[in-house]
Amino acid sequence: MEYILHIVIMLNIYILLVLSANLPVGLANLLSICQAAFYGIGAYFSAYFLLQWNLPFVVVALIVMCLTGLCSLVVSFASVKLKGDYFVLATLAFQMIVFTILYNWTEVTRGPYGISGIPSVKLFGIISLSGIYGYFALTTVLSLIVILLFGNLKKSPFGRVLTAIRSDELTVLSIGRNPARFKNYAFFISAAFSGLAGLLYASYISYIDPTSFTLDESIFILTALFIGGIGNIKGPVFGALVVVVLPEILRFVGLPDAMAANLRQIIYGLILVLLMYFKPQGLMGELKIKN
Amino acid sequence: MFLQFIINGIITGVLYSLSAIGFALVYNTTRIFHIAVAALYVAGAYIFYFAFHTLEFPLWAAGILALLFTAILSILTEISVYRPLYRKKSSLNTAMIASIGIMTILINGIALLFGNETKVLDNSIQQVFTFGEIIVTLPQMGQAIIGIILIAALFAFLGFSNFGLEVRALCNDAALFEISGFNVKTTRLIVFALSGVFLAAGSCLTAYDIGMDPHIGMPVLINAMVAMIIGGTGRIRACIVGGLLLGILQALVVFQFSANWQNAITFLVLLLFLFFKPQGIFGSKKRLV
Repeated sequence: MEYILHIVIMLNIYILLVLSANLPVGLANLLSICQAAFYGIGAYFSAYFLLQWNLPFVVVALIVMCLTGLCSLVVSFASVKLKGDYFVLATLAFQMIVFTILYNWTEVTRGPYGISGIPSVKLFGIISLSGIYGYFALTTVLSLIVILLFGNLKKSPFGRVLTAIRSDELTVLSIGRNPARFKNYAFFISAAFSGLAGLLYASYISYIDPTSFTLDESIFILTALFIGGIGNIKGPVFGALVVVVLPEILRFVGLPDAMAANLRQIIYGLILVLLMYFKPQGLMGELKIKN
Repeated sequence: MFLQFIINGIITGVLYSLSAIGFALVYNTTRIFHIAVAALYVAGAYIFYFAFHTLEFPLWAAGILALLFTAILSILTEISVYRPLYRKKSSLNTAMIASIGIMTILINGIALLFGNETKVLDNSIQQVFTFGEIIVTLPQMGQAIIGIILIAALFAFLGFSNFGLEVRALCNDAALFEISGFNVKTTRLIVFALSGVFLAAGSCLTAYDIGMDPHIGMPVLINAMVAMIIGGTGRIRACIVGGLLLGILQALVVFQFSANWQNAITFLVLLLFLFFKPQGIFGSKKRLV
């Protein structure tokens, strides 16, 4: 039972991550490969606030989301100034710089040793949320809220402008909307919710180290997004489901652990290549990726 | 000491140049953000290892075999993935995601075959040359000499044949290129083969010195891209200048601060270039699409 609950908790965290990646990548067609950097920034901020301050969950969540959102300004600045491959490279640079800082600034982040003993979050300031059941409830409620929120966001005027930017940025500019501002918002929201995922991860696992927030993790999140499908809500949720549940299914096939990890990656890679040829918008996705 | 760091930087720079050429050949011609380069690089090193260690070929034969098979592998990625996508007129982003897929498949396939642990080609203590206060090991010497010979050969090839011109024409306008009676397919194949050769050269020379594991590809790819951006996209000689500059810069970072901050500084430089001089040192000014 606890095994299944653990999978569901990780699934909920990945739903948050993939949905927030969908906002810039799927809606506005800004291929950013630094989502894991925001996830990591969120996790490290959370570790700091949970260890040093005795704050209720909602407050910690808001602070972490705001701070992570502020870090996204660097990336959104790049998204306004740079186009196409140059933007991808800039997000890559951001990802690598964040990882290097987490890894090497040992006085603050404790580097490769990681931060252990992160306390559980406190709901309403008093009840300390502990145990797997509590986290199951919390992450499920949060991921449902976020699914609803992003569903509405997509239909809102804001979401429509983002979709319009994906189709034609110049037209958006010519009808009096400022694409730069909308990109800023999109990245802020995306980073903030990745940060929330970081908070949930850090307090649930109670130990974080930089290797959870590498470039590979960013690529993994993008893989989940593109397998599931871009642009809508069910695509990312389905993608998160695939990447979290598939390894568990493979576990029962009975392969040795070392082989299973590599085999899983090969399956993802194959799905990705085949999808890009037959259905580039992903299994459940909405629109094709445009150039 | 300072001079020693500069020399080390230049030798690393030559290796970066080789990988950067491998990446840039494909990127300049097809505009595909060829992430699978990371996997081809690893494949080159492992073919070298397999030929030298398991089949017990002599060193030079193993090297040539590695170059050959990586070129074939590179051609296979074009035939099996990029060409169908190109024919379907897929967007470049689609090709890039597919490229991530190829990279994942190849790297994990290699890990399945050879294991995830580090492999070393040559354990013996290397012979050392001393010039005054500068010390250069034998593998480093080989890296510098073979690297420079390969780069010179590429320049001779591009300079004395029409191929360089054809590549640039293809990059400029594929439809017009085809109308003028050239074969897009063949030109692309040659470009991919050359890219494979240069990637394998870079990886074999590095692997002989410091060994390999299946995950060495990504950092190399990233450094190659940075070298290409610094030098300027669209020119091959820009890759060499970019590679050398990057190598020297990283060596100086190690000299001045510590090796830990090498990556951070590299990417800071990349960001500076992207924002202030995205066309690179040699690139001509043009609209960035």
